[in-house]
Amino acid sequence: MNTHLIISTSNELLRVAAAHIIYISSDGNYSNLLMSGGEIRMVTFQLGQLEEMINKQLPDMRSMFIRIGRSLIININHIYHINVARQQLLLKDRDNTYTLSASKEALKSLKEFIEKKYEIK
Amino acid sequence: MKSNKYDIQDTEIRVIGESSSSSKRKWGWMILAAVLVIGVIAGIIAFSCAISQEEEGIFERSVRQAIPHPLRGWIHSLDSITDIYVVTKDTTVNDIPMRLYVPLNMTPRLEVGYKCIDDTTHNMLLFQAADVRADNKKIVGAFVLRGKPLSWGLSKKGYCGIIGDQVTIGVADNSPLFEQATEVGGYFFRQYPLVSNGVLVENELKSQSTRRGLCELEGKVVVVETFTPESLHDFSQALVDIGTTNAIYLVGSSAIGWHRTLDGVGVASGQWEPRVFKNVSFIVWSR
Repeated sequence: MNTHLIISTSNELLRVAAAHIIYISSDGNYSNLLMSGGEIRMVTFQLGQLEEMINKQLPDMRSMFIRIGRSLIININHIYHINVARQQLLLKDRDNTYTLSASKEALKSLKEFIEKKYEIK
Repeated sequence: MKSNKYDIQDTEIRVIGESSSSSKRKWGWMILAAVLVIGVIAGIIAFSCAISQEEEGIFERSVRQAIPHPLRGWIHSLDSITDIYVVTKDTTVNDIPMRLYVPLNMTPRLEVGYKCIDDTTHNMLLFQAADVRADNKKIVGAFVLRGKPLSWGLSKKGYCGIIGDQVTIGVADNSPLFEQATEVGGYFFRQYPLVSNGVLVENELKSQSTRRGLCELEGKVVVVETFTPESLHDFSQALVDIGTTNAIYLVGSSAIGWHRTLDGVGVASGQWEPRVFKNVSFIVWSR
């Protein structure tokens, strides 16, 4: 089972354990990978391209990643707090909490998805 | 450009590897149908009223990120430049492709009429400034040209005042810059406000078209132009995300624009002919 995402360009190769990815955010034509521990890596790929890489390279782990709107991909294993009214999403690793913002509609869908996935309701 | 299988709206989520978003598709289609019906009705009403070139529609909320956009701080790299030229920067913000024009070390002014746009010797950068009313073809909102008031009114709360070489952009019902411009031979015009003190200003215009904005970005005046049709909300949000403090709209869609490249080549945008509005106005930076 492939557990690492490999992002390769003509000059560089980045190999990241999927479980260590907290979220990926769109940054114009580039994207930022935030990994557990707080390290941020900018890569020269758009978010849609990274989504495609995850889809193809991580067939057994891709379902842990959720695309939220046009600007975010998050790892659901790091979800800590969803506040729909405040449009706030907190992700957490061992040491840090990361604050993100998304539309109410997307956060409501995310909340419902988590509840359904873990059979909370 | 946006029509591939990875397209997604800011109101949606999608588990990677699954073809559809987790939102309820049935409700999604019903809402989409309802929105289409409402959109068509709103379009007919807006067209028949012929009050504005813009029509009602829907807009979406943008995802805002906790991390700063990489353009933040970029503009300070231009601080050491002493030459006269227009720096352009192509970028993408929230999937909106756009170009930033930064006029450096040149003199700003307003002009009325088309004559000024043919002066390609001295002009470095120009864009249409104030709107022209559809009914009487007069300038919309207060306008001062070289100290002479040409138009009065407060239909739009965004303003730009030019006193000497200083361009001030803001949002207010009343601005002392109007009076000041009349006293010192300055310039003043009004437009839709987009960003005020770093906060997005909502506008009623909901249709999509090429957008242009006059922005105060980390102490510098910057013109931002989108390459794709965008809603005013999404455009304003993108300006906020790159760190704009204050911004007002410039005439969008097919309005005239022009800049001189570093190589001395003039690059025009918009529809230059026919030249039918004698009260068309421009903000011009020249050497």
